[in-house]
Amino acid sequence: MKVKVLRQQSPVSEPYWEVFDADVPGDMSVAGLLDHLNYHDDIVDENGKPTTRIGWECSCLQGICGSCAMVINGIPALACETFVRDLKGSEITIQPLQKFPVIHDLLTDRSVIYKNLEKENIFIGEYKPGSEENGKKAQKEHVHQYEIAKCIKCGLCLEVCPNYVNGQNFFGAMFANDCYLVAARNTDKRREIKELYDEHFGSTCSKSLSCMDVCPMKIPTIASMAKLNRR
Amino acid sequence: MRDAIVIGSGISGMVTAVKLAEEGVSVLLVSPFPSERSQSVMAAGGINAVLTDCEPGDSVACHIEDTLKGGCYIAGRDSVTGLCESAEEIIRYLEGIGTVFSVDDDGRPARRAFGGQSYKRTCYCGASTGKQIVTALVMEARRLEASGKIRRGLGKCFHSALIKDGVCYGALFFDEHTGNISAEYADAVVVATGGQNALFGKTTGSTQCDGYTAGKLFTQGVELKNLEFIQFHPTTIETSQKRMLLSEAARGEGGRLFYLDKGKRVYFMEDKYGPGGNLLPRDIVSREIYGAGSEVFLDVSFLKESEIDKRIPEVRELCKKYIGLDIASEPIPVAPSVHFFMGGIAVHNDHETNIRNLFAVGECASMYHGANRLGGNSLLAAIHSGMIAAREIAGRDVVADKPDFSQAEREANESLAEMRNTKSVFPVMYIRDMAAETMNKSMGIIREEASIKEGITDIDYYLSIAEKLSYDNSVLPYFNYSLSGILTLARAVLTCADARKESRGAHFRSDFPDTFDEYAHPTIVSYDNGQYNTRLDKENEYES
Ligand SMILES: Cc1cc2nc3c(=O)[nH]c(=O)nc-3n(C[C@H](O)[C@H](O)[C@H](O)COP(=O)(O)OP(=O)(O)OC[C@H]3O[C@@H](n4cnc5c(N)ncnc54)[C@H](O)[C@@H]3O)c2cc1C
Repeated sequence: MKVKVLRQQSPVSEPYWEVFDADVPGDMSVAGLLDHLNYHDDIVDENGKPTTRIGWECSCLQGICGSCAMVINGIPALACETFVRDLKGSEITIQPLQKFPVIHDLLTDRSVIYKNLEKENIFIGEYKPGSEENGKKAQKEHVHQYEIAKCIKCGLCLEVCPNYVNGQNFFGAMFANDCYLVAARNTDKRREIKELYDEHFGSTCSKSLSCMDVCPMKIPTIASMAKLNRR
Repeated sequence: MRDAIVIGSGISGMVTAVKLAEEGVSVLLVSPFPSERSQSVMAAGGINAVLTDCEPGDSVACHIEDTLKGGCYIAGRDSVTGLCESAEEIIRYLEGIGTVFSVDDDGRPARRAFGGQSYKRTCYCGASTGKQIVTALVMEARRLEASGKIRRGLGKCFHSALIKDGVCYGALFFDEHTGNISAEYADAVVVATGGQNALFGKTTGSTQCDGYTAGKLFTQGVELKNLEFIQFHPTTIETSQKRMLLSEAARGEGGRLFYLDKGKRVYFMEDKYGPGGNLLPRDIVSREIYGAGSEVFLDVSFLKESEIDKRIPEVRELCKKYIGLDIASEPIPVAPSVHFFMGGIAVHNDHETNIRNLFAVGECASMYHGANRLGGNSLLAAIHSGMIAAREIAGRDVVADKPDFSQAEREANESLAEMRNTKSVFPVMYIRDMAAETMNKSMGIIREEASIKEGITDIDYYLSIAEKLSYDNSVLPYFNYSLSGILTLARAVLTCADARKESRGAHFRSDFPDTFDEYAHPTIVSYDNGQYNTRLDKENEYES
């Protein structure tokens, strides 16, 4: 099988494609594949020419830390939970996330995610839940908050979003979800958060909901939107 | 004190930073990657605490006793008492900052059974307890970042500590953005760099926990402790990229271990230890699985599907995704794997090391777990230790005069430049892999002198060539300069295992299968110019 990787040696150098041959089992993930290319032997391209090892980032290797977000066969995904068997065709293409500056090969600088949350002071501060909900509704609400708090800040929702460009004004689905978590956990902040949500998400989102398709944690962004739009 | 550097931004590092900042200490919180990428997000099962509305019969005293017993009585009673007594306050704190705990019908934190414990006292957040706590703490840290009290140093990796005459004044960091090593000075330095996974290659945990910081500090005069005690988690599954942990919750919810004998299931843990056998402490279960001699399975398929989806949905999803198995209808093939490090940097009860103003917290420090950690006690310890260290640091006087370390800074950069100028295709990662193979062989579930000694010979050889290795351009400079520190730590681990000529907790020696009273103390290991010296802490130097 051919593996085509978009490489870039440094933040300022030009990107270029490099093709590798790999013979790996279908139950191997793309993370496993990258490891295989890098370390099963000296690394060479498809013509047998020696090259440098491919830069990428990992930590948990099981889909809960968001490190290995990249674009695989055109779809933003986590390398550690995308399996070779599920990729169509005889060639796999791997690119870094395109909406974030590349640091090296598949490593990107996603610090804008944190900068935006910090800039707008998105934090709970103190747990002050609402009193209006109880019973089944409260339970559902609790589940929703739990799901949002699982957001791994991988950036896949931003990569796929037709409205997200570079995080200057529109901050994307993960921002909307964090807004909801803060508003739900500290009701004193509802009004303030609603304004930030409108400014950086609600007013621009065209509701393609592609963010939900690629979210590794399956966060129901649409539920956060419905609730924040209502408030 | 006026300022502090916290190295590592997992749960323990974040708690330390938040608590310091709340006390008015200005904090530099350093880590190569954001907190969302730390191992802490992987903690699944829960955090132990005896709350006021605990199960009838349970008490803080009982939690203390379980912890000391699980640790085979070599953890200090005072420190363990402090840990267990603070647990309720810690849960309140976590609730107060908005952590989404799983709750019972009255909205109180729900609790589940966990291995080695007499009562149900493990609070949890679904099956992503660590992640939920990280989310809440990241928000707290952000609150203090916004007001300038915490400064994040992302993209920085620890290089070495700035130590003179037994006092620490700061640290050198490699900065991935500038490509240089630079000095940061502070009144106190707190190390919160997590476990030592990389010594064993791919473990259940994060690839970011490489043990380098502990190894480097060791060569700078910091004493380490109890390195021979390495916890194997009994139930992990083999996948193509790593061994993945199946939470103890699966057994907490009733999961049963068995192997097949002529097609018949043998529930060996229950046969030998009675109905609670599956949930015994991890060292015992791991050894029994290892000793079973044939493939062992974990079965939860007798539980109702709805119960599985309610209580352990993540376990079901994980098995489906990575090994294509549905736990609701099939038993899961499991085996033990390296999971947690009871040993680490030796600290006093206030979490200061033997170097003044240098502290260690979380999994990189060795304090509460003795010879074996109880599941759910490490998240508790990560938070408790951060709080203790922060309180101590905040209460201390400012360090008036700091020596100048610009020469150390210059030398570090020169040696990095020298390293960079050599070229080779032989990657540093190969040596790391070979060292991991050695460690897995010599430091397995069952050890004996000959294989430990072989391990020492191998690691000594890798150490002898580590500095002469050519530079590997394809990985970050950090991976190049960190190799020696990692190997030094591996050598120290083997030295501790060699010195403890008995079996206790997670350290089982086939040549010394018994436990001896004379060894009922922690091992302390120190470094002196290439010499590794061990002693037992019989005088309880570190229990003060
Ligand atoms: C799969 C799994 C499940 C677990 N489940 C539970 C559980 O249910 N209950 C429980 O109590 N415990 C559990 N644990 C253990 C628990 O997660 C850890 O002990 C705890 O999270 C450690 O936190 P920490 O802050 O000490 O370290 P970590 O979270 O590992 O953070 C270490 C930090 O140090 C940084 N760092 C590392 N090296 C350097 C360097 N050279 N320079 C700068 N920074 C550096 C890292 O980037 C990271 O930010 C589990 C562990 C695993 C692996």
